[in-house]
Amino acid sequence: MSWIRKGELTLIERLSANILKAGPMPKHVAFIMDGNRRYARKLHVERQQGHTQGFDKLAETLRWCLNLEIREVTVYAFSIENFKRAKDEVDGLMELARQKFSRLLDEQEDLEKHGVCIRVLGDLTLLPLDIQKLIAQAVLATKNHNKCFLNVCFAYTSRHEITNAVKEAAWGVEQGLIKPCDVSEFLLDECLYTSNSPDPDLLIRTSGEVRLSDFLLWQTTYSCLVFQSILWPEYSFWNLCEAILQYQLNHHALQKARDLHAEARVLRQLEADRCCAAELLQQTGLGKPLDPQLRQEAVQKYTAEREGRVHSFLTALQEKRDRFFTDLNKGSIASAKA
Amino acid sequence: MAVVYEFVWRMLHALLHLQRTLLSWFRIRIWNWTWRLWRRAVAAVLVPAVFGFQNHPHNNKKLVPTGCKKSCCRVLWKSDGKSLEKLPLHIGLLIAEEEPRYTDIANLVVWCMAVGISYVSVYDNQGIFRRNNSRLMDEILKQQQELLGLDSLKYSVEFLNNSTDKPEQQVLSCQATVKVLSPDDGKRGIVTAAQKFCQLVEQQQKRSTDLDVNMLDSLLRGTKGVPDPDLVMKFGTVASTLGFLPWHIRLTEIISLPSHINITYEHFFSALKCYAGCEQRLGK
Repeated sequence: MSWIRKGELTLIERLSANILKAGPMPKHVAFIMDGNRRYARKLHVERQQGHTQGFDKLAETLRWCLNLEIREVTVYAFSIENFKRAKDEVDGLMELARQKFSRLLDEQEDLEKHGVCIRVLGDLTLLPLDIQKLIAQAVLATKNHNKCFLNVCFAYTSRHEITNAVKEAAWGVEQGLIKPCDVSEFLLDECLYTSNSPDPDLLIRTSGEVRLSDFLLWQTTYSCLVFQSILWPEYSFWNLCEAILQYQLNHHALQKARDLHAEARVLRQLEADRCCAAELLQQTGLGKPLDPQLRQEAVQKYTAEREGRVHSFLTALQEKRDRFFTDLNKGSIASAKA
Repeated sequence: MAVVYEFVWRMLHALLHLQRTLLSWFRIRIWNWTWRLWRRAVAAVLVPAVFGFQNHPHNNKKLVPTGCKKSCCRVLWKSDGKSLEKLPLHIGLLIAEEEPRYTDIANLVVWCMAVGISYVSVYDNQGIFRRNNSRLMDEILKQQQELLGLDSLKYSVEFLNNSTDKPEQQVLSCQATVKVLSPDDGKRGIVTAAQKFCQLVEQQQKRSTDLDVNMLDSLLRGTKGVPDPDLVMKFGTVASTLGFLPWHIRLTEIISLPSHINITYEHFFSALKCYAGCEQRLGK
């Protein structure tokens, strides 16, 4: 497979991997693959070469992740902000994407054999139509694979993603599927592009920069952040092991913080349900029942109704998302037949 | 075989923990020693400069009054701020440690003000500062007096309380705004803004397609107009933002320091120097 390098670890790498696996391992790792252009400058080659090497390094890193049993990887391939770059660089990156997605479609058997599910996250309407169609084909072809997951953030920024999630919730209100008070952290989680993935356990950024640059801001609130100074095309297995060690050192503290947040979230939802149930009773003229048992039943009834509304909304949302890809795919099949 | 790997893993982690403890111990000792030397050197140079050279040698043997020491520090800190290539407009102090020390945090806030940073946010992921808001404010005012002396009125502080839009203390000339944050300001703030927008849509005052990044940004910012943090100084060994303002930190530099306990000005300033050296390409 062109996206996942063939090969096995050396003996020493295997031993180190086995030692690391004795401790808690991240299930989902996110990468900000920074440093391609600085690498190209360092080697006195064209920028495009730097990006190509960057893709090769991605393929190698995905191989290491599989060897380490890290089943889900999200990568920041192209930001909406990157459209500001020089036209020839943007065109070069689009051409690279075209080549790599086309190649992916030729390797469908291999992808099926290894159970690789490819997802592309971002505002795909900003991309050239032919690339949108290639992406749609790749996503639909691998939709049901479930051994490992690769999420490619392309034409993506986190603020656009969060804004889009709020827009989807507002669409749900417009359609009469949900009420404004049904909007919660859980609902917004499900409206993000990453709704099918758990939050990343570990975020790695290369090239020495120490910022998130609008990547997975919502999803990485309790992730282990590791900033490494190595340039992305120079990334090594040992750099990855170092990052995983950092994750292991932080694991207990982060789990504790995450649990605290989850607990607070549950309590907040319960409180919100209580308020809404009480308001509803007020509106229906029944007033606040004195019997705590009746109050409890009213809250439970409200919670069940709310969950029902949210479930219908999320089903409709999933259908809307699937339609986007199937429509694009129909377009490609039609133009292929013509 | 699995038992062997586990044993090696445990030894490795024990060594790493030991290394972290030793490094932290050394760092504190070396910083404190360097800072004492630096202060003596500065006092020797700046005190005569501030008060003029005097010809009577025995005057120099007099103890420098406290007010003079505070003046030196103030002058030094102000010039430190000016000497940096860039200074953050808004700094976030993320305390990722179990037990916060109010005096040390107050020192940090006062140093931020003294070097010329306009907005300071203080955050912890358990909401401790939010619950003890007044205690923190009192400590900041006390340290302001302690460290900046008579001119503390010039460095007036506006405390922003999130429950109302009115500042807690009205001051004549506002030099710095201090905000106390908790996880409620993070994702929960975004949820509240989302609910507000959905209410407008329900009332047919807006359509879902009207929303864009700028509109959501203004809904989140409200009327206070505090800019996004340029820098987050994270204190503690936990490598995470722990829920600190996820929307606002898209371009924020995150610099980690081992601890806020007994933090020295030198250590704080070295983090600012690190920030001044960062280059932002903004996608280009």
